[in-house]
Amino acid sequence: MVERRRQLWRHVGLIVGLAILLFPLIWTLFSSLESSSHAASFPGSLIPQFHYQNYVHAWEAAPWGRYFFNTILIATLTTALVLITSLGAAYAFGMHEFPGKRVLFWLVLSVLMIPTELNIIPQYLLFADLHWLNTYQVQIIPWAASTFGIFLIRQFVMSLPRDLFDAARIDGAGELAILWHVVAPLVIPALVTVGVYVFLGSYNAFLWPLIVTNGHAVRPIEVGLASFRTGNNSEYTQLSAAAVFTTLPVLVFFLIAQRYIVESISRTGVRG
Amino acid sequence: MESLAARVRSARTPRARQKDGWRAAVFLAPALLLLILFVYAPALLALGLGFFHYHLLGIGTTWAGLTNFRSALRYSLFWTALRNTLLYALIMVPVTLIGALLLAQLLCGPGKYVGFLRTLILLPYITPVIATAIGWLWIFNPQYGLLNSLMSWLGLPVHQWMQSPTWALPAVAMYTLWHGLGFDMIIALAALASLPKSVSEAAQIDGAGPATIFFRVTLPLLTPTLFFLLVITTIGSLQAFSQIYALSGGQGGPEYATTTLIFLIYQTAFQYYHFSYAAAMAVLLVLLILGLTLFQNWLSKRWVFYQ
Repeated sequence: MVERRRQLWRHVGLIVGLAILLFPLIWTLFSSLESSSHAASFPGSLIPQFHYQNYVHAWEAAPWGRYFFNTILIATLTTALVLITSLGAAYAFGMHEFPGKRVLFWLVLSVLMIPTELNIIPQYLLFADLHWLNTYQVQIIPWAASTFGIFLIRQFVMSLPRDLFDAARIDGAGELAILWHVVAPLVIPALVTVGVYVFLGSYNAFLWPLIVTNGHAVRPIEVGLASFRTGNNSEYTQLSAAAVFTTLPVLVFFLIAQRYIVESISRTGVRG
Repeated sequence: MESLAARVRSARTPRARQKDGWRAAVFLAPALLLLILFVYAPALLALGLGFFHYHLLGIGTTWAGLTNFRSALRYSLFWTALRNTLLYALIMVPVTLIGALLLAQLLCGPGKYVGFLRTLILLPYITPVIATAIGWLWIFNPQYGLLNSLMSWLGLPVHQWMQSPTWALPAVAMYTLWHGLGFDMIIALAALASLPKSVSEAAQIDGAGPATIFFRVTLPLLTPTLFFLLVITTIGSLQAFSQIYALSGGQGGPEYATTTLIFLIYQTAFQYYHFSYAAAMAVLLVLLILGLTLFQNWLSKRWVFYQ
């Protein structure tokens, strides 16, 4: 009896929690489909409507296609570079013996202790000097190495049997061949976990692109949405429509990759 | 066979290891160079920058000594921002820890849809802040917002939320909880799942009720994870930026109520272009983070239970 009551409370708690969790998302979706006169009255908002014109107007009001292209380009290249640099470093740390290995590994890990807010100002000044502001590379290159990536992939590389590595060497395989044909296929789960983590982080990045871009040309979607909001057009229904179509790709990505997202968090708990 | 063994041996000789060193260096170089150039070098520059009067492109930069630090400490907005930062952390930290524990308890264990919920709860965490804050602004709307409707339905006082100097910061915290609690919950859940069942079962056999088991057995075993969550939540709330930018419309208002230190640093550097002054404030913020982390670490010896 007591057990049943406890279960009941648990379910009530879960349902309330689920409502709080999903409500803001559903609310945004509903308001994006309302006629603008309707949106201002609360009870009416819960009755779904279908003014898809809001999406048409919102889409026409800013260069969203450009923003999407920029974001996907930046996120994809950042992810690819992180995977390459991390796999290389993880291979060196996990499979090779060399002097200073421990010091260098410590150097990589201690990056986590340097707060980003300390770095953004000198980074900005550095890239201003290099005339890199308002480019793609300024949004990619500084993030092309990841401590989390090196650390996680190294864990996987270290768990591989050394004999495999020795056998490949004895068969005369070069280093790159070993890395590409032996190591990489065996650490695919780690690569996917790191890739998903970096891609999401890059898609959702805000402070850095806000600082280093101005104008539409290389601006990513998040900064584009913020400027759309503060710009002259702040009709609520259109703003909601824009919020929906900028969130949608992440939701789809989440559905596909959720296993790896959960994995990347419970692995080390490095916060994005 | 013989020659194979010889080849194996030669692959492990000191000379091979020396060659190993060069090969390793080639594979390490890209990552290390990037980290040195874009993390270590800027961090060192940042520590120095506060001691100069810097002008863009370095032209006419002069030594400033402690001037920037002194004027930051004399700037009343700096203290307002410091107060807001600490207040925000003070709201976020306990609520996050208790919330994550509670949710992990609810979502722990079997059940068909519980597993589905465990994943779903992470959904807000991966949504872009600028986008989902738009929906929340409408929830916080004083006239038509859902939150005030709910408050009056429950017989509680309604507030102006993002338009009120008192309630704006708690509103930001509310949004951040919605957005980030799933992350902390996953960590708490992972810890909860790794606890040995035998201990709580033994306590149950000895006649301990669920509350006793939770407070006397589960909680002490979870303290290392709680400590980890405490540290990252503190650091995370001292660094909060996107949600403040999004919810306050890039202003940090009303009446500077959501201007935290990181927001003030952003404004000082990138809206007013006082780079050295902002760098001095950044150093002070980092000292604050470092101090708090060391303090928590020292305090942890009194309450964290390591098996």
